[in-house]
Parts: sequence; structure tokens; C-alpha cells
Amino acid sequence: MDGSEPSDAPGPPDVEVPDALAAVVDADTGEGELERTIGLVGGLAIGVGTMIGAGIFVFPGLAAENAGPAAALSFAIGAVVALLVALPASELATAMPRSGGGYFFISRGLGTAAGAIVGIGLWLGLVFAAAFYLVGLGSYAGQVFLEVGVALPIDPAVPLGVAFGVGLTVLSLFGTENTAALQNGIVIVLLVILTLFLSYGSLDALGVFGAESTPERFFPPGGALPVLQTAALVFTSYLGFAQVATVAGDIKEPSRNLPLAMVGSVILVGIFYVVTIFVATSAFGSARLGEFGETAMVEVARSFVGLPGALAIVVAGLLATFSSANASILSASRAVYAVSRDGIIPEAASRLNLAYGTPHVALGLAGGPIVVLSATGQVELLAEVASFLHLVMYGLICVALVRLRREDPDWYDPSFRCPAGFAVAGVGGVASFALIAFMQPASIGVGIAVMVVSYGWYRYYATDVDLKGDF
Amino acid sequence: MTETPTADGGEQPETDGTDRPTVLVPLAVLEGESLPPGGPELLANARVVLLGYHVLPEQTATEQAREQFGETAMSKLTEFADRLTAAGADVETRLVFTHDKETTIDRLIYEYDSLAVLVPNSAERVDSVLVALRGTIGVGRNTRLVAGLFADSDVDVTLYHTVGEGESPDDGASFLNGVKADLVERGIAADRIETVVEDADVPIDAIAGRAESHDAVVMGETDPSVTTFVFGMPSEQVAERFLGPVLVVQRERPDE
Repeated sequence: MDGSEPSDAPGPPDVEVPDALAAVVDADTGEGELERTIGLVGGLAIGVGTMIGAGIFVFPGLAAENAGPAAALSFAIGAVVALLVALPASELATAMPRSGGGYFFISRGLGTAAGAIVGIGLWLGLVFAAAFYLVGLGSYAGQVFLEVGVALPIDPAVPLGVAFGVGLTVLSLFGTENTAALQNGIVIVLLVILTLFLSYGSLDALGVFGAESTPERFFPPGGALPVLQTAALVFTSYLGFAQVATVAGDIKEPSRNLPLAMVGSVILVGIFYVVTIFVATSAFGSARLGEFGETAMVEVARSFVGLPGALAIVVAGLLATFSSANASILSASRAVYAVSRDGIIPEAASRLNLAYGTPHVALGLAGGPIVVLSATGQVELLAEVASFLHLVMYGLICVALVRLRREDPDWYDPSFRCPAGFAVAGVGGVASFALIAFMQPASIGVGIAVMVVSYGWYRYYATDVDLKGDF
Repeated sequence: MTETPTADGGEQPETDGTDRPTVLVPLAVLEGESLPPGGPELLANARVVLLGYHVLPEQTATEQAREQFGETAMSKLTEFADRLTAAGADVETRLVFTHDKETTIDRLIYEYDSLAVLVPNSAERVDSVLVALRGTIGVGRNTRLVAGLFADSDVDVTLYHTVGEGESPDDGASFLNGVKADLVERGIAADRIETVVEDADVPIDAIAGRAESHDAVVMGETDPSVTTFVFGMPSEQVAERFLGPVLVVQRERPDE
């Protein structure tokens, strides 16, 4: 009113945080601009929704069998490693807020060869992860039959997992709208159920309700080794934060929201995992938990509050494994897009179907192998190979951070800087590679084979592609 | 005021002295939506923000779609822009790949301080316009739009008001006469303005019915509520039934 100028010209939206870099990426290049539609809550929901399915609803039984109550420590180790990678990854993501996540950082930071190995590895890593989640989803769907008293002649986990795999792939081909809103809702319902359950369980374990908890040696007979092996196995529970980076191109105000969503989701699920193991191993002995297998948490809930508790956890388990599997299929198709955009695999792989707006070839390249792999039903192998391929990427993300900071190219201008960057990335990189060493030989073998084939493909098809610094 | 100084202000849309009303025209270009034949005539005196958009499902990266469809969409959009420019409008063209239409449209309404959004239903030519007015709140934006668009044309304007609860027909008539006086002052000849006050149970039905004898409708947007959530915005309902172009006058947006 009293000003010198009539100030009725509005500021651009989201004026609070100028996101110069994102603005450059989105800006019109003569072929249109890009709208960012995922906020902080959406980003957190992607991270948490992808991760929480495995750590709480599939692994507790297996982990406790291997490492006893110290499995809580295994999950804590996983959380620390994930955090050490999430921080450098956040810095890289704010410097390159583009779709493709880890693949994009590594191909630009370390060159095409490393990019090809990671890009193809990321696609297959997500394929293995999705297959693993689908078997978990099948287990929970099978549990539904058990709860209603229908006896099945065979274990339904694998066939149901395969069926869900086919269903989800087909669904994603037809461009379902509002998947983000659905994902947010699922995550909120899950967190509410889990918070109630874990609060009750913790109080119970501490003796508040007078029930006796099972005293057990904290460390398993083998000492530290099983704990580290279990950490390697359950690391699959921490793969989701990287999925946030694969949709970096859709995140609003990426310089603020990307780091918060990645680091925040790791911390949040890490706490839930550790408490879950504490509660589970307090309710039952580790050996018992192992016998219950993938659906051990259902029995834990049943021991607290009977059938309603069991049902609540069955529902939560269905939701969680469903959202994890769905998120992984979609991320896998984004990974295919990212490598095909760069010409590492034929461009045809990223064609969109105009009618549905979905990348049908990429979704097929994700969904097909996922269905085949989930048919094997090898839960531990699937999980470990998925972790292997992701850990290679994580290690290289740390290497890329160190390299980019030292070379400091013109285009590298992250708005979030990882505190103590070199130290964090150094430890994170070493820890990522070290964790691989504790996996089963079969998983390591499959993982190395994938890397060798990826490199071979690069030599055969993409030697003339130069991506380093191509931003 | 605690303003952060804007050093360049280059991004700010400038209100060029002519005071043309800014109208946002969103078109789903890749889904075959196009500028109606009467559109250029309707918007000849406007500053048009021509927004081509394409909505993608969440599993598709917007970047991916831009790469594949950007060129096609842009060339279509340019064609529309040329037609508007030829009719005399100032045109700014934007093409956006998005996952959410509302987010994009809302962002551009803010960015350009748009006075109205056009629902681009078809119209052959524009001779008469129905202006549905609800009440005194925000009516100034309606008059600014109507005067800006039609002062220099020979389009007939019908001001229309349905009597609300506790309001007499005389109140309605004097309200419309006030608006008419304002429009005359802004350059529309008095004999081109008609006023109609009606007592209708369902204003939307009444507006849609009235609209049939006109070529375009100007009406305000409504605050979102449970009713609008279930039945859709009144402007959308009118647009669906009327099948002609509807200019939806936007509320004053808060200055954030």
C-alpha cells in the first residue's frame, strides 16, 4: 500500500528455496518443461515404502535364526552403512537432480564403463529385489489362507508371488493414476500399525505387562561372524533410499527434499528394524522364530494379542511387501530408461506408449525377469544378489563423490554438501564393498556374473558412448 | 513488508501498459485437444498464456516423455499460438510434462497472475457472452476481464445473477446495475449490456440453461468444498453441459 511500486506481480511459486539447478533441468529447451510433483512426504513415502516391507515382514525370522538377538545389531550395522552412503548420494543427487539415481551419478562421475556395470546392475538388482519382495508377498497371501483355515496341498508362497508379479506388471503397463497417493496412504497405515505393535511389544519385553520375556544370550555361538553375515543378508532392507534418487527428476525443491527424504527414510526404518528384532527375539527364542520363517512376525503378534494382532500384521505385511514389490518394478523400469537414454542399450527400450503414457518395453524388461526369478522362490539368494548389486553401486557412489570433489568440474555444484565428505564417502565405500564379502558364495557368484556380463555388453555395444561429465 | 529483494525481476511477467487481461488456456495437446475455432476471436484482446500439457502416469519420467513427444507437442502448440497472434492476442507459450494437471495449472496461474482460465470447448464465433455473477466479492476481477476482452469488440454482454437466500430481486437488479455502470465506464457501450436477475433453485442448471442462447460463459471459480469434491466445480459442470467455451475467473491468489 505504501510502497513505491504496486506489487501485484506474484513471485514464482516455491519462492522460499530457489532451486537454481533444478530450474535449469526443468526449463524449456524448446521441447517443453518438466513439472516436479513429489514433495518431501512423497519422497519419504517412496523410501520408507520400498524398504519397510522386507526388514520387518520377511527378515526377522531368518535373521534371528542366523544371529539370535544380535540380529538387531546386524540391522543397526546395515543402517550405518546405508547412512554412510545416503549422505554422499544426497550430495550427488542435489548436483544432478535427474532421473536415474545412482547410475546417473556414476556414469557422469566415473565414465561409461562403470556406468554400464552399475546401470545394468541396478536394473537387475531391482529385478532381484522385486522378486524377493514378491515371494514375501506370496508368503503373506498364503498366510491369509492359513488364518481362515483353508488347507492348501502345497506352499502357496511361490505361485502367489508369481501371480502378483504378473498382475503388478500388467497394472503398471496401463498407467494407473494416483499411485503416489496410494503409496502415501499405505505407508501411513503401516507406520501406525507398526508403532502400536512395537510399542506394545517393547513394553511387554521390558516386563511391564508381567509377561516373561525369553532371556537369551545376545551373541550367537559363532560370535561376530554370523552377525556380519546377517547384516549382509538383511541389507536388502535398506535398498529403498536409492529409489528416492531414481525419481530425483520429480522431486520438488530437490536441494532440500532429496537429502531429507533419503537420510530421513534410512533413519526411520533403521529404528523400526532394530526395535522389531528386539521385540521378536523377546517374544520367542531365535530357533523358534527361524521355524516360523518369512511370516514370523505374525506369530509374534499372535503371542501378544491373539488373533486380532495376527490379522493386523498379516494385513500390514501384505501392504508392505506389495508396496515394496510395486516400487521396485517401477524403479527397475526407470533404470532401463536411464541406460537406454544414454545409448548403453538400444533406444527402443525406453519407448513410451502414447495411449497409456507408460514405457511398455522397459516395464516388460523389468516384469519378465522378475516373474521368472520369483518362481525360483530362493528368498535368501534373491535378497543377497539384490544387495550385492546395490552395494557395488553404493561403493561406486562413494568413489564418484571423492573423484568429483577432487576434480571439481564446472558443472559440479551441489547445494547439499555431505559433512566430512571424504571421510564419510571413504568409510561408506569400504563398508559397502566389505559387506559383500560376508555373503554366501552362490550370491557372490551370481553377482559377479552379472557384472562381467554387463561389462562384456558395454565392450560389445557401447564403447563409443562417452558419458563422463555429460550433464 | 519483509520482502526479499529481487535483483533482476526478469522472470516476473510484466503487465504491459495496455492492461490486457491475462487468460490461461490449458490444452492437452497430445490428447488431441485443440484451440476452438472461435478461440482467437474470443481472446483477441487478451494476453494469452497458452499452456500445452501432457499428463503422465507416475511410473514414467517426465524427461522421457519430453524426449519422445516434445517436438510434436511444441509444433502443434506453435500452430495454435500463431492463430491467436494473428487475431491480435499477446501470446506466451508454455509446454509442460507433468504428473499432475492441477499442480501445473495452479503454478502457471500464480506465475502469470492469470485473471481467468479458459475451458477450451468449441465455439464457431462469439457474438454474445453470458456473465454469471454470484455477488460483490471479487466482482472487480470479472469486470476487468469482461471489459478487457470485449470493450473494443461488438460482442453483446448479458450480466446474469440468481437471487440468493434473503435477497430480493431488487437487490439483485441494483447489484447488476452497479456492475453495468462499471463496465460502461470501462468502455463497453451501455446498449450492448443486458441484465437478467432470476430466482433459481439450482443456479448451475439455470446458468447452463441460459448459456444455450450465448456463445461463451464467464463465471467465477468456487471455493473447494465437500459438494464440489463430489460433484465437481460448478464451472466444470457448466462447461460439461454447455459445451461452449467457459472463462473461469480466478480468485485473487494470496501473495504467499
